[in-house]
Amino acid sequence: MVTTYLRRIYASFFTNIVDKPPRLLALLCFLILLFFPVTRPGPLLLFVLTYANIIAIFAASWDLLVGRVGQISLGHALFFGIGAYTTALLYKFYGLPLWATIPLAVLFGASVAVLLGFPSLRVKGPYLALVSMAFPLILTGVIFYFREWTGGENGIWGLPRFFPIEFFTQIGFTYSEALYQQKVAEYYLTLLFLLVSGILLYKIANSKIGITFISILDDELASKSCGINTTKYKLMAFAISACFASLAGAVYAHFLTAIGPMGTLSVTLSFLPVIMTMFGGIGTIYGPIAATFIIQTLDMYILRTVVDVPMEWHPLIFIIIVVIFIIKWPRGIARFVTDKLEDLQEARELEERDKHIWKREKKKSS
Amino acid sequence: MNLLEIENLTKRFGGLTAVRNVSLHVDEGEIVGIIGPNGAGKTTLFHLITGFLKPDSGTIKFRGEDITGLDPFKIVNKGLARTFQVVRPFRHLPTIANVMVALNSPRGSKKIEWLKTPQRKALEMLEDVGLSEMMLEPAENLAHGDLKRLEIARALATEPDLLLLDEPFGGLSPIETEYLTKSIQRMHLDGHTLVIVEHKLHALMKLAKRVIVLHYGEKIAEGTPEEMAKNEKVIEVYMGKVI
Repeated sequence: MVTTYLRRIYASFFTNIVDKPPRLLALLCFLILLFFPVTRPGPLLLFVLTYANIIAIFAASWDLLVGRVGQISLGHALFFGIGAYTTALLYKFYGLPLWATIPLAVLFGASVAVLLGFPSLRVKGPYLALVSMAFPLILTGVIFYFREWTGGENGIWGLPRFFPIEFFTQIGFTYSEALYQQKVAEYYLTLLFLLVSGILLYKIANSKIGITFISILDDELASKSCGINTTKYKLMAFAISACFASLAGAVYAHFLTAIGPMGTLSVTLSFLPVIMTMFGGIGTIYGPIAATFIIQTLDMYILRTVVDVPMEWHPLIFIIIVVIFIIKWPRGIARFVTDKLEDLQEARELEERDKHIWKREKKKSS
Repeated sequence: MNLLEIENLTKRFGGLTAVRNVSLHVDEGEIVGIIGPNGAGKTTLFHLITGFLKPDSGTIKFRGEDITGLDPFKIVNKGLARTFQVVRPFRHLPTIANVMVALNSPRGSKKIEWLKTPQRKALEMLEDVGLSEMMLEPAENLAHGDLKRLEIARALATEPDLLLLDEPFGGLSPIETEYLTKSIQRMHLDGHTLVIVEHKLHALMKLAKRVIVLHYGEKIAEGTPEEMAKNEKVIEVYMGKVI
């Protein structure tokens, strides 16, 4: 009984992952990330990767909304900020534990998305992009106005961590070792969040709903003439995307333990997923996730510690690298890699089929 | 019983009256043709019926129910589907997924037979129009004639009671036209009611039992194709007046 079950899992693992090169590559990347802390990386690299885990969720959520439904949002930091501020304010005023505030932040982010979705749906294309750009700026203004509660530009400090330090010192670690182990635990937790949200977003994008999403991206009128309630589906896309963006914001707040409008609502943050998605491949979901890891380690780690270049040169080098990549592979690096892998697989399959045919011919002739 | 009943429909674009006081009816199980020179308001009439434009005055009744000014997707879910004059495929989706979008709609998903997957049903729809070989090809790789047929398969996937075809033969070769004529005849035998707007009178005359002629937004004549071919007013509209 148990063995048949295990055998079935083993078989489905082979047919669904090992036999499909892009998925196998994704699995390998995940395993590398999973066993990465074994090499005892420095605290900076660990911080960069944990931050990349969080931003990857954010970038993938943007890709679902823009790459799959075509609703261009240049103010996605709004949902990130709402997630961060909701969890922070709930902790500050009601003292709620972290495992209650994060789901509440996600729910609140989704409901705000639906509310803002209604007026936003009246405008299309570039106009929607302009309107959406204004929303995080408005929220920043609101936060500055209610500075007694929100702390204005100083933000909110002293949020609880996912794993309190006592948890590690009680097991028997020394204090400095406990600090490091806390970072490792946070890395694994954010990686788990990324894995779950990445799989969910990918599943949604390739489901029945995902097909309808692409139909809206391609031709909204034709989609309507197929009997699709496009308003409903667009609001759904806004809500799903905002869910994951607020999740990223809420996790970010508890990872840094301090939030401010600069980190969670800035225009830079709004444009971060745009860069990631263009770099990784729009509409792929896994593209922006891969791009986030490449760009974040490049920008925050390699250019700062591995290659010793003066600080002033960083943006220039970074821009040159990104521009070269975009000129070389305009459809994104993830698409380029998967296309190559699929070509290889096709060639292999054809070869095998040829062998069979050849064998059969041989039998016939003999 | 009249399936579709239109009374005194008027639509103005600024100073131009695109459709003026048009009244017509479509009975269950017939093929009605709508002809007229360019700019006669045929496509506007279709847009009005399917809710893509709101009429200035007049009523549209479908199965006795007033559907004037309803949202397009609601009208489709009541069983009144259409195709477009200029093809509008979902370019990034495979051909079969184009049909599956229509099967995701409330009406489309309700009408799938018991124990049949949407994929199976979509494939059958493609087989009906002869596109099943292209099923995994992205729609952007399809030829114009194939896209025209894909349009029809997509509209049929919502199982409409009344199907409006906007110039189905536009830009097709004679062989493709013949093929499509046959599949439209088959659709008619399957029990679909059809309204066809067409320029190619020759193809339309084979199909339609009743033809309505529009000119500058007004209905100028109605009758069998043979009557229309002899009607002086119609000849005048198409060929010009004898001086």
